[in-house]
Amino acid sequence: MTVGEKVAAANQKVLDIMTKARLVWTDVKPAIDAVEGMEKNLILIPGPPIEPEDLPIPLKTAVCGAAIHDGLAKTMDEAWEMVLKREIRIGSSQNYNCGNAASSVMSPSMPVFVVEDRTSGGTGYCVPHPGSNPRVLRWGIYGEDVEENLSFIRGDYAAVLGEAVRRSGGIDLIRILSRTAGMGDENHNRQPAASMALALELVPYMLDVDHPARDRVIKEVCANDRFFLHVMMAGVEAIMQSCKKVPYSTVMVGMGGNGIEFGIQTAGTGNRWYTTEAPKITGTFLKPTTTEADLLGYLGDSCVTEVWGLGGMSAIAGPSYLRMTGGTFRDAQERTEKARQVSLGEHTFAPVPWDDYRGFPVGVDVRKVVGLNVLPISHGGSALKTGGQAGAGAAELPMACFREAVEGLVEEIRKLEGE
Amino acid sequence: MSDVSKILSLFRSELITINVGPRSFAEVLEKQGYEAVQVDWKPAAGGDKHMQELLEYLGGWE
Repeated sequence: MTVGEKVAAANQKVLDIMTKARLVWTDVKPAIDAVEGMEKNLILIPGPPIEPEDLPIPLKTAVCGAAIHDGLAKTMDEAWEMVLKREIRIGSSQNYNCGNAASSVMSPSMPVFVVEDRTSGGTGYCVPHPGSNPRVLRWGIYGEDVEENLSFIRGDYAAVLGEAVRRSGGIDLIRILSRTAGMGDENHNRQPAASMALALELVPYMLDVDHPARDRVIKEVCANDRFFLHVMMAGVEAIMQSCKKVPYSTVMVGMGGNGIEFGIQTAGTGNRWYTTEAPKITGTFLKPTTTEADLLGYLGDSCVTEVWGLGGMSAIAGPSYLRMTGGTFRDAQERTEKARQVSLGEHTFAPVPWDDYRGFPVGVDVRKVVGLNVLPISHGGSALKTGGQAGAGAAELPMACFREAVEGLVEEIRKLEGE
Repeated sequence: MSDVSKILSLFRSELITINVGPRSFAEVLEKQGYEAVQVDWKPAAGGDKHMQELLEYLGGWE
């Protein structure tokens, strides 16, 4: 076989893993018990690896807050000293089959959603979405009120949710995505339909849980229209764990930003990152006083949803998100058309009625991105440099990452070929 | 002197231009009332020869 034939076969294998995945949410467990490689002094952060000295303010706050939450330090200053001395380590979430949205971080005691891909055997993890309160670690804010909420999530919330999920025997995420076809979710920044469909499955089992905080937990879950995002991110990571085991493949299997750098990963080179300066997410701001100068670069791993064909890739499925962030229906069509140009296939589970019942494009081939000079677009929430959410919108993925990925893949394949 | 009547007759007839290149060329014609069709084409890998060779090694992108 020629190298080109091996690449084509590997890409087909990755596309099969992506399109035939059967994702089942099976459990809620502490990260230390669930995530392979998690250690008591390890805090996982979004995006590509970064030295502690380079952390932007929101991530620095989130890491130090998480260290206090886990009892590793008593004050923010003590936590930061420990981080600088590498007594507390930081790691890149996606290298551990985890995703951390926005400025979320994952510390050992935090509960994580456990999602398995029953087809390929991969497992992925993500911390729960904390709800609509703007004062959350997820946006780089820490204080007594944030700690109180984190403790509730680690305690009562995880206990009730975990028992309900286990009682259910596992919740099929593909079924939820199928049920919500044509309901306007693009499933990165907008997922009220999927969150409601998930609640429909979950609440009956939650009602069977005998726990004093049961009703509060039910209220929290049902009032959070973004709840599904973090479950979905765990699901995507389950799929990508399997994809990363396919040598020769040029398909993108990871991406995210740490506010300073943005990076992508490819199946054929596993956890190797290809990075460049993080682009800014432009669109709308929550406050009229915010300007583009206040924005941090792309922050978060929630764009792993795009890696699996959701969000900006399936923009046409959720055109109202475009409207909200300053775009049009035509812009939504163009985003999905661009994604189709650089993707190897389409999902079948949620055909879009107003797009000739076509599925979401999936499996971005870095060769196509570079060769055709066409960049896919990711949706996302934007972060303020000082912490807090700035707004929401979209960012074109940076070409430099894809060019670097092509170089990296050639280097890796030449090694495999003994050249 | 060469016969330019054929080329002149072309310009006297209704002209529809196919533009392969910067879109602004087509836009100038459109502003003058002519119909222009823009070909959606970009040089492979932005014209980067090194990248083209690497892509070739990986089996191309089609």
